[in-house]
Amino acid sequence: MIFRSVRRRAFLIATAIGAVLAALPSASDAAAPRNTLVIGVDTSDTITLDPARMSQYTPPMTLKAAYETLVTMDPGDYVNVKPQLATKWERTADGKGYRFTLRDGVKFASGDVMTAEDVKFSLDRVLNLKDQPAQYIAHVDRIEVVDPKTVDVILKDPSQPLLTILAAPAFSIYEKKIVAQHGGISDSSAKDADKATQWLDQNSAGTGPYKIAGWERNATIQLVKNPNYWRGQPGFERVVIRHIGDSAAQLLAVRRGDVDVAFNLIPEQIATLKDNPEIVVQREPSLDFVYMAVTQEPEFNPALAKKQARQAIGYAIDYDGIRDALVGGSAIRPVSFLPIGTNGSTEQLTREIGFRQDLDKAKQLLAEAGLPDGFSFELSYGNASIVGVSYQLLAQKIQSDLARAGIKANLNPMDQVNLRTQFTTNKSPGGVLTFWNPPAVENQLWASATVERVARRVHWQPPQEVKDVVSRAAAETDLQKQAQLWRQYQEAMVDNANLVILFQPIYQVAVRKRVAGFQLTGAGWMADFSAAKPVQ
Amino acid sequence: MLRYITSRVAIAALMAVLATLVIFLIANTVPGDPVLTQLGDLAASNPDYVARFRAKWGLDLPLWEQYWVFLRGIVHGDLGMSIASQRPVLDDILQYAPATIELSTIAFALSLLIGIPLGILAAVRRDSWIDHVARLVSLIGVSSPTFWLAFIMLAIFYGGLQIAPGPGRLDPIAFPPPTVTGLFLVDSALVGDWDTFWDAAAHLVLPSIVLAAATLGLITRTTRASMLESLQQEYVRVARAKGLRETMIVTGHVLPNALIPVVTLGGLAYANLLTGAVMTETIFSWPGLGRYTFQSAVSLDFPAIMGITLMVAVVYLVINLLIDFSYALLDPRVVRR
Amino acid sequence: MTDATFQAVPTAVVQPVPSSRARRVWRRYGLAGVGAAIICIWLLVALAAPLLSPYAPDAVDVVNRLQPPSTAHWFGTDALGRDVLARLLYGSRISLFTGTVVVLLSAVFGTVLGGIAAYAGGKIEEVIMRITDLVLCFPPIILAMAIAAALGIGITNTIIAMLVVWWPKFARLARSLVIVQRSREYVEAAHVVGFGPGRVLMRHIIPNAIGPLIVLVTLDVGNAIITFAGLSFLGLGVVPPTAEWGAMVSEGRELVEQWWVATFPGLAILTVVLGFNFLGDGIRDWLDPKARRR
Repeated sequence: MIFRSVRRRAFLIATAIGAVLAALPSASDAAAPRNTLVIGVDTSDTITLDPARMSQYTPPMTLKAAYETLVTMDPGDYVNVKPQLATKWERTADGKGYRFTLRDGVKFASGDVMTAEDVKFSLDRVLNLKDQPAQYIAHVDRIEVVDPKTVDVILKDPSQPLLTILAAPAFSIYEKKIVAQHGGISDSSAKDADKATQWLDQNSAGTGPYKIAGWERNATIQLVKNPNYWRGQPGFERVVIRHIGDSAAQLLAVRRGDVDVAFNLIPEQIATLKDNPEIVVQREPSLDFVYMAVTQEPEFNPALAKKQARQAIGYAIDYDGIRDALVGGSAIRPVSFLPIGTNGSTEQLTREIGFRQDLDKAKQLLAEAGLPDGFSFELSYGNASIVGVSYQLLAQKIQSDLARAGIKANLNPMDQVNLRTQFTTNKSPGGVLTFWNPPAVENQLWASATVERVARRVHWQPPQEVKDVVSRAAAETDLQKQAQLWRQYQEAMVDNANLVILFQPIYQVAVRKRVAGFQLTGAGWMADFSAAKPVQ
Repeated sequence: MLRYITSRVAIAALMAVLATLVIFLIANTVPGDPVLTQLGDLAASNPDYVARFRAKWGLDLPLWEQYWVFLRGIVHGDLGMSIASQRPVLDDILQYAPATIELSTIAFALSLLIGIPLGILAAVRRDSWIDHVARLVSLIGVSSPTFWLAFIMLAIFYGGLQIAPGPGRLDPIAFPPPTVTGLFLVDSALVGDWDTFWDAAAHLVLPSIVLAAATLGLITRTTRASMLESLQQEYVRVARAKGLRETMIVTGHVLPNALIPVVTLGGLAYANLLTGAVMTETIFSWPGLGRYTFQSAVSLDFPAIMGITLMVAVVYLVINLLIDFSYALLDPRVVRR
Repeated sequence: MTDATFQAVPTAVVQPVPSSRARRVWRRYGLAGVGAAIICIWLLVALAAPLLSPYAPDAVDVVNRLQPPSTAHWFGTDALGRDVLARLLYGSRISLFTGTVVVLLSAVFGTVLGGIAAYAGGKIEEVIMRITDLVLCFPPIILAMAIAAALGIGITNTIIAMLVVWWPKFARLARSLVIVQRSREYVEAAHVVGFGPGRVLMRHIIPNAIGPLIVLVTLDVGNAIITFAGLSFLGLGVVPPTAEWGAMVSEGRELVEQWWVATFPGLAILTVVLGFNFLGDGIRDWLDPKARRR
């Protein structure tokens, strides 16, 4: 009848359109194929591109393309900092800070030469804006310009690490003249008087290979090449970072060549790209991890207050099953809160002193704790996923693993707000599944967190020896000795069994073969495309 | 008549505001603190930071004062700042509204285009196979869970047959047309960008079919029942006796009367669609109000929640008012009651 | 999620089809019969789930995750290796239970409120109706999420959240029905004779008004089932690892290649709701005096 064929006709037209569209190159990417790098990633957490206010997960990738820092970390080496805008650094004469010698011949995108004044401006602004990044350099007292090529960073507490932290994109160096022109203030009135954020959201004044040309929230971030880049001409004319929230859409887009890189594919989707002749799946171990924090507050759960009960949890979980089945094999597992790749944490060490699945041992520990029939506790988690694995799935897997040792985990899905509130206000009554990603690549940040705020959250009062080990390790400059101290620290963490690390993802990113030099990194900014260029 | 109108409008406005009050109260009984999800781990444990953030968002004021700030803002057209996106809620709503309007309107038009003729034919050929088919189609449409139907459509036409484009309003690497209305079909046509036009149209196909499915059932059944009722009327017999052709009777006399209840229910259904279909928008990654509603609820973004509640309440109340007014115009007895 | 509560179907005029006895029986009871049959089957499934189910619904077996339908697993396995059919069978319990509970409770509450409003009239009626309007203009998702955030996730709390928004439609219907009845002559006659309001209500008004209410209740159970599944899909609803159809679709949402995870639970919802809709439609046709012919 009439209406039915109307409906059919409409759809046929639509499908014809779809087919034609798929075949036609759309007008917007006529120039894209050769000279534009298109990246598909979920940018929904982006709320600003002002480095001094950086606290989210995805924006650092853009920042690292537009700006540079004094020192940086090479992908895969998360122990030694490498020179970037500074070529040399040493302790100041009085030992209270670091003296950085700046690189010659570095120009901003505007063409002006970078000097120590710009460094002072940028770092002062972070300190005085008092937004989240400022916390990580709270031990910095002041920045001093010695001469146009030398900068001193004086610390309040010289034993605290600085270099590794300065590698984070939040401490990018930008051009004082331009940012000040757009309302940037770096002195103590910055907190209320600074107005540059709005401009920095849409532009950049950095030394990186590309400069920000625009940002449309939840849509695109546009970058264009910086012709004054000190390392030579960047490989692409433009870079477009496209927000694609749906992993299936990212898969289709990278398959069709609409995007060159897809960041958020889930393991099942990655598996389908195995034999694709046009795509290579790059893998890079991250420094993030998913862990379970278990309280020891007797008022919340008397069973969990017993150390052996918590250790039993650590020995009951099927880590390999989680890694192979849920994460598609793409994960590693550190001993404790120091991700593998940092000094003192290796897969070998995990085999030696870390948790592993051993049901007999778990049952034995339970007997030692006086709980031969097991116990029950509440396991909370939020409505989210990491590398395509939802916490819900992970929790159910853990629940069934623990059940085999006689431990009953009652699942308690919560919304993110309640979960975070409960967790950060130290009120979690059982276990919490959550995620940790480094604000900067510095062991001390993680370790000290575990004996301070994270310890409070699980109601643990760490013994003074443990706290001392952490401080000594953080201050120790000899890497070998430092690794030994970190080993001691990790043994203590395993012994107290409040934090069980479930897995440390190896990020799998699909990159089309026409792009060379696209470098993933676990250092916190996901990727470095300063050396990326089209394959000729 | 004027008094009737003004009193109804006043009551409606009051109700919209009351709705926001109720939501505000409920949302504030939740023990969670939305601020903590916006801060990184270190900052969230730092009482100074938390306090400063709360002060910035006015969350440290007593409850009644927070609500008062909100009310004052409404008068100026300011719905507050969203904690999650850190920009005015009104901006958020204006950004996401066109996507929903476009989708809902197309879906609604589709359900009318199919539903009304189907209903008419079902009424006119009662108990024939077409009547049964119409009934089956509408029942299946109404019985399918939207979230599942969306998945099935995507799985079959996008994943399996690969003839439909994927989720989203446009291809992932396409760029939206310059914003005039926010409706991609309109905006791209205005500048003659036909590539984008067809892209947007193709992306609209699956989600509007999904959304139309349930509304279709409603429209078909209402049209059928209303037609049957009208066909009973005296004047139809008279017209037949006079010798008028059947088609003339149906289209010229019966149909206009029969469509009144359809308009009523259709209006409500449209309002339903407009206030955002969370499931469909979530599965199709449609950046519309439904998805925004869900995300704001999930992150306890108070200003956004209240802004949305206000908007939804206003839409419903306005449409209800319009429907009631149309009755009042048609039937003066209504006013007195 | 709106519903039409219009009076049903008057006699057709245009093309009467000559009817055999079988046809007449079918026309009168057919649809309702099919609906009732479907519902009965699902009720049996729900009751007998432990007997019918080949596996335990929460038997995690990650090695066998995401297996397509086979002789070992008729409907395949999900992301944790659990048998989809087993979870489907157990899920029927949740859906049927919550759907009926929500509708019955809100029907009782709403009807009483609506009846009071209509009978009392005046200010009371105005207030009640305004409250009804107020509840109706809430975005249900926000309300459900707020309640879930305040009270926690779980079947009970989700039922509470649904109850809050579910009763208005019954209140409205009840009110309009009672108003119609109230002005009928037999009610006036009853007053004249001296029956009190309660007796009039119980003996006269309710029996006459109950028909459309039953229709609405029946049709609405389907809606409630879909809504509950939808809330579970969004992350509210049941606490894992309880098997529930909406939650199952949610888990399979991204898995387009492993279509069985999300398809079968959705089909289950579809068939159950169809059953209730058939039954409701059938009852409505049956109740309508104008439809009884020949």
